Amino acid sequence: MHTTDEFYEIIASAIAVKKELVNENLTYQEIPEWDSMSHLLIVEALEQFYQVKFDFNDILEMGTVGKIREKMKKYDVLVEN
Amino acid sequence: MFTDASSGATTPVGTLYRSLGLNPVEKGLIFLYNDNQLSSVEVLLNFYGTAHAIAVLGQKLHPEFKERLEAEYRPKYIFDPSRDEVQGYELKEFSETVKIFAKKDYKSEVVIHPEIKILLSTSGTTGIPKLVKLSDENLYQNAISILQYMPILETDVVPLNVPINFVYGFSIFTTNCMRAGRIVCTDKDIMQKAFWDEMEEYGYSTLGGVPYLYENLNRIGFFRKDSTSLRYMTHTGGVINAELRKTIFSYCHEFDKQFFAQYGQTEAGGRMAYLTTDGLLEEETSIGTPVYGGSFQIDPETDELLFLHSSISGGYANKLEDLSTYEQPKLLHTGDTGRRGQNGLYYITGRIKRIMKLFGIRLNLDEVEFILKNELEGNTVVCLNGNDKKIIVLYDNKDIDPQIITETIKNKLRINPQYVRTEHIESFPLSQNGKINYPLLQNLQHEKI
Repeated sequence: MHTTDEFYEIIASAIAVKKELVNENLTYQEIPEWDSMSHLLIVEALEQFYQVKFDFNDILEMGTVGKIREKMKKYDVLVEN
Repeated sequence: MFTDASSGATTPVGTLYRSLGLNPVEKGLIFLYNDNQLSSVEVLLNFYGTAHAIAVLGQKLHPEFKERLEAEYRPKYIFDPSRDEVQGYELKEFSETVKIFAKKDYKSEVVIHPEIKILLSTSGTTGIPKLVKLSDENLYQNAISILQYMPILETDVVPLNVPINFVYGFSIFTTNCMRAGRIVCTDKDIMQKAFWDEMEEYGYSTLGGVPYLYENLNRIGFFRKDSTSLRYMTHTGGVINAELRKTIFSYCHEFDKQFFAQYGQTEAGGRMAYLTTDGLLEEETSIGTPVYGGSFQIDPETDELLFLHSSISGGYANKLEDLSTYEQPKLLHTGDTGRRGQNGLYYITGRIKRIMKLFGIRLNLDEVEFILKNELEGNTVVCLNGNDKKIIVLYDNKDIDPQIITETIKNKLRINPQYVRTEHIESFPLSQNGKINYPLLQNLQHEKI
C-alpha cells in the first residue's frame, strides 16, 4: 500500500505546484499548471515511480486526482485513502 | 444565427449589441478574454459586425498581463467569464452565459484607425503582450488564400480545437465560417476522453495543431486506425520530427487522408506557405510554397525570408495611442532566414531574431532574459534555445538560486520547470565589442544536445 502523501507529492512535483494544492477533486485544466502539455508529465512520473505502463484510454480518463487513484487500482497500484 | 446545440435555442446575430444599447457605428475597443466555447464566439461575431476593434486575448492570459493591458488601453468593454468584477466597470447581463463589463463614465481617448478590426497578441500566453493590428481586409485576404488549397466541404464538421486567440486558430475559424458546414465550439482537447466522444458524436472532418498535438496523437495510437469522418489534418508552429512525418504519411496513404503543413505568423494575418501530404516525405523539412496571392523574397544581404501579401498586418500596438495608426508595410520581415530550393520549395535555415518555439508558442529569448533580470535584481542571465524543446538559462553569479529562475519562468510564462534547464557558468564569453557572445554560447549548447 502506497501513501497518499507520496502520491500527491509525485503529482505536485510533476506539474510544479505546492503539494497543498493537490487534493482528490483537483481537475485537469482547473489550474494552468495542469494542462494538455503537463498531463503526460504526471502520467510519466506515476509510471516511473510505480513501475507501470498505463493504457491510453485510462490516461484519457484521468481527469481528476481521485480518478487517477481509481484508475491505478487496475494496475495493482493501491494508494491508501 | 447562433444555435446552442445542447438546448436548440437560437439567437440572431446582432441581438447582443442591440440589447446592450451599443451604437453599431461607434468604434470603441473591446477586450475579449475568450475560450473556444459558444458564448465567446457569439460575443466575437456580434462585435465583429459592429465598427468596434476587438482584442482577442484568450482566457488563460496571466492576470498580471490582463491588468497591465487594461491599465494601458482602458477598453470600453471587457468580456471575461473568469471574473465577477472589474474595477471601474459595471457588469451588463445579456444572457445566462454572456455578461459584459462596460466601462463606467467611458470617454473615448483616441480615435481608433478605421482599418483596425482585430488585435492579436504575438506571443500567445507568454511574454509581454504586444498586439498586432489586423484589418478585416487582412483577415479576408488570408482566408481567401487558404481556401485555395484547403479541401473544405460544405458538409464538414470542424472542431475549434486550436484557441482562436492564436492566429492559426483564428484562420481555422474564419475559413471554415466561410465554407464549412458546422463548427463545433469546444475547449476539449485530445488528452480528454470527452474530445474523442465528441469526435464520434459529431464526426469531425478535420483536426489541426502544433507538432506537440501530432506527437500526442502518435502516443495514443491514433495513426494505427482509421477515423472514418476525418478527411484532412493541418499543422503549423514548427517542425515535426522525421520519424513522425513518416508515420503520418503512411497513415494518410493507407486511410486516404490529406495533411497540410503550414507556415504562418500573426503579422501575416495567418498562413504564409503550405506543403501538401507528399511534402512529408521530403528529406529536409520545407515550408512549401507561398499561399495564393503571396510571394517570398530572400534578402540578399541577410538571407531573411520576406513575405508579400495583402494580408500583412498594419503594425504593432504597445500603447493606446498606437491604435490611431495602421500602416501596412509592403514586405513582412519574417525573422527567419530561408532559401529557395531547386524544386521551387522554400526552406527555413535559421532565425534572425532570438526566438524559440516551445509547443508551437513563440518565445522571444530577449524578453525572457528581461523578465528574469527584473526578478533577479539585475543579475545577468543568458537564455538559449535548447532545440525548441527546452529553455536553457545560464547564470554567472553562483549565489543565484536556480529555483528562482524556474519559479519565475513558471509564474510569468506558465512553462513547466521540466522544460527549463538552468546551468551555472564561471563567466560569460564576450565578443570583440564587449557584448555577450551569444553565437558561441549557443554553439556550445548544440554540442551538448
